[in-house]
Amino acid sequence: MDLSIILENLPIYFTGLKNTVILVSISLVLGLLLAVPLAILRNYGNPLVQLPIRAFVYFFRGTPLLVQMFLIYYGFGQFDLIKESLLWPFFREAYFCALFAFTLNTAAYTTEILRGAIKATPHGEIEAAMAAGMSRFLMVRRIILPSAFRRALPAYSNEIIFMLHGSSLASVITIVDITGAARIINSRFYSPYEAFLTAAVFYLAITFLIVFLVKKLEVHWFAHLQPQSTSEQVVESPP
Amino acid sequence: MEDRVVSVALDEIHKRFDANEVLKGISLSAHHGEVISVLGPSGSGKSTLLRCINLLEVPDSGRLFVSGEEVILKKTRDNRTVPADMKQVERIRSKLAMVFQQFNLWSHLTILQNVIEAPVHVLKVPRQEAIDRAKMYLDKVGIPDKLEAYPAHLSGGQQQRAAIARALAVEPEVILFDEPTSALDPELVGEVLQVMRTLAEEGRTMIVVTHEMGFAQEVSSRVIFLDEGLVMEDGDPQTVFNNPETDRFSTFIKAMV
Repeated sequence: MDLSIILENLPIYFTGLKNTVILVSISLVLGLLLAVPLAILRNYGNPLVQLPIRAFVYFFRGTPLLVQMFLIYYGFGQFDLIKESLLWPFFREAYFCALFAFTLNTAAYTTEILRGAIKATPHGEIEAAMAAGMSRFLMVRRIILPSAFRRALPAYSNEIIFMLHGSSLASVITIVDITGAARIINSRFYSPYEAFLTAAVFYLAITFLIVFLVKKLEVHWFAHLQPQSTSEQVVESPP
Repeated sequence: MEDRVVSVALDEIHKRFDANEVLKGISLSAHHGEVISVLGPSGSGKSTLLRCINLLEVPDSGRLFVSGEEVILKKTRDNRTVPADMKQVERIRSKLAMVFQQFNLWSHLTILQNVIEAPVHVLKVPRQEAIDRAKMYLDKVGIPDKLEAYPAHLSGGQQQRAAIARALAVEPEVILFDEPTSALDPELVGEVLQVMRTLAEEGRTMIVVTHEMGFAQEVSSRVIFLDEGLVMEDGDPQTVFNNPETDRFSTFIKAMV
């Protein structure tokens, strides 16, 4: 094993790291912003609104991310309608296509995660909100979503990590992400072991950071689920 | 009784679930300051009646008035009855408060947050004022030290008392109690009944669906007995318990003790 290859080429990996972080974080943020209203409409919208959302989720969960990316990057160029439109400067770029595919993909998965979490809101808590005179909108904002986000967090942290790993596919369409950096080093020095092991270490480090942050959020968000003995509450006998 | 303000009035309320007609024409008015116990065997429609008042269930027919305002209902094309104006329903609900059998506190909010939620976000009371008021009511129900606790960290009795504080915090015209002690361990029932007794003595208007005969007899100012969707008895506790008009009530009482 020749570590000097890696050390000398660390700047390429850092470029890759930067691209991975940008791609993953932007697509996660946009995907979540899309997923929240979609999940609400998927639960409470009328059937005509629900149908296209179901179709969207079914398509993006039912096909591989790589195929989705190819469809967008290679496929869209086939249509004159898109080629002649104002969107072409965007869809011409691999970077934009990857971002577009990742965003829609994570939006679909996140919609499904949130849909389940919203559906699982205890019915009594919803009745209490109605009895208090809350409007539908206020109830969703104050009671249903805060409660659903908490339920969704463990599944969503999985989605974050899947998205990180899924983003390695961006390297297939010429993007220099972490995996892309590894492929450059490999093809330059014929040292696949060093090249990809370094990529693995980068992914492990990011995953570690994600797990750590989710854990912190859980401590904060799940205070209401902690056993009494670990919080500052003391067990009392009934008066 | 005629000169007192009517808080809630029901006129010929009917409600059915599919083939099962639960309420078969209930008329009743609750006056300001009355504490009404609604008794009846299970399936007699007690809870449905209570839930019709704040429109958690929508009556199929009949008229409903809350503090002088008639709730406007309309028929849909598939012949269901729905409120004509959700804004009106929200306004009416905000004048009422409900205490549930299963407490139904919002589990992700602390007790203090639970109590200030409706005052701040529905009634638009300034936050600090709502907090001061919440502390007063939590003190009244005997859990002033649980402000920062989450519902899951309290006993059933404490949760129900917190739920009562949440109901008081909106300063409602009428508090609706839906079997407030039925989900509690026997040794916790007393603490909740004690709080309810205090509220009754303060002259608050309460409609209480309950199986607690002691409460009905000693605390309430009026007892209503429901059976098979109809009001069978309606009067002050002494009269109803000592000289019931129907055999059904006598049978019901015997079965309870």
